[in-house]
Amino acid sequence: MDHLGFLFAANVFVWGGILLYIFTLKKRQQALRKDLELLKASLNKDSES
Amino acid sequence: MNEETSAPEESGHVLFWLTCAGLATALWAIFLFVPTEKTEGAVQRIMYFHIPSAWLAFFAFFIVFVSSILFLWKKDREWDIYAQSSAEIGVVFCSLVLITGPIWAKPIWGAWWVWDARLTSTLILWLIYVAYLMLRGHVESGSARARYAAVVGIAGFLDIPLIHFSVLWWRTFHPKPKIISAEGLGTGMDTTMLVTLLLSLGAFTLLYFLLLGQRIEIEKTKDEIDHLKKERLYSH
Repeated sequence: MDHLGFLFAANVFVWGGILLYIFTLKKRQQALRKDLELLKASLNKDSES
Repeated sequence: MNEETSAPEESGHVLFWLTCAGLATALWAIFLFVPTEKTEGAVQRIMYFHIPSAWLAFFAFFIVFVSSILFLWKKDREWDIYAQSSAEIGVVFCSLVLITGPIWAKPIWGAWWVWDARLTSTLILWLIYVAYLMLRGHVESGSARARYAAVVGIAGFLDIPLIHFSVLWWRTFHPKPKIISAEGLGTGMDTTMLVTLLLSLGAFTLLYFLLLGQRIEIEKTKDEIDHLKKERLYSH
């Protein structure tokens, strides 16, 4: 009657989903910060030359 | 290197640890504090994730609704960022509602899905906000994109009262509201179950604000990159 497999599956989806979303947010932010730093460096280089 | 943290960073850290503590407390309550429900058994514990996920999704779409109105009124990009960020979080948690619901329904109703008013209107809500995100992804950035998205964001929210009242207006498989009902606040539930559910709702609300902060930061970094790219283009 307990259907523990269903409870386990629901937990996997909820916590897995939340962690996956947090992970993608972190990855996106890291990639954008990298782009921003590169852009700033290239702008500084342009202004110096 | 400056080791000092700014006020937003510090409040972000406080929110992070509060969310962790909230989620840990909710998990303790769900698996150790609350007794097993007599008729459904342990699988009923899915409710403590299912309802908070639905609450978080509805709250996120409410923020989209309010931010979209404010964007159309003030024409301030800041409100557009709030709406976009909140819509994405809303879609993630609405997806979790649509996944955990069938997992709970199968052992209790004997079917993964039934086309009743509550389930169908929730699926429609999910489709509306997926369309909202697709619209944002496919229309060229600018004020036109923000305006179209704001209209969809406002119109989509009108589905939420329909979802809430669907179980009262029509005969559905889905149970009636347990926390806010005609009989009063939390009257349809045992006290320990209500406390556990409220703990989980609180923890998920904190999680929403934590995710919103992260998502807004991404959008602001994108704006900064676009601004610098334009600056570079004009300087050549």
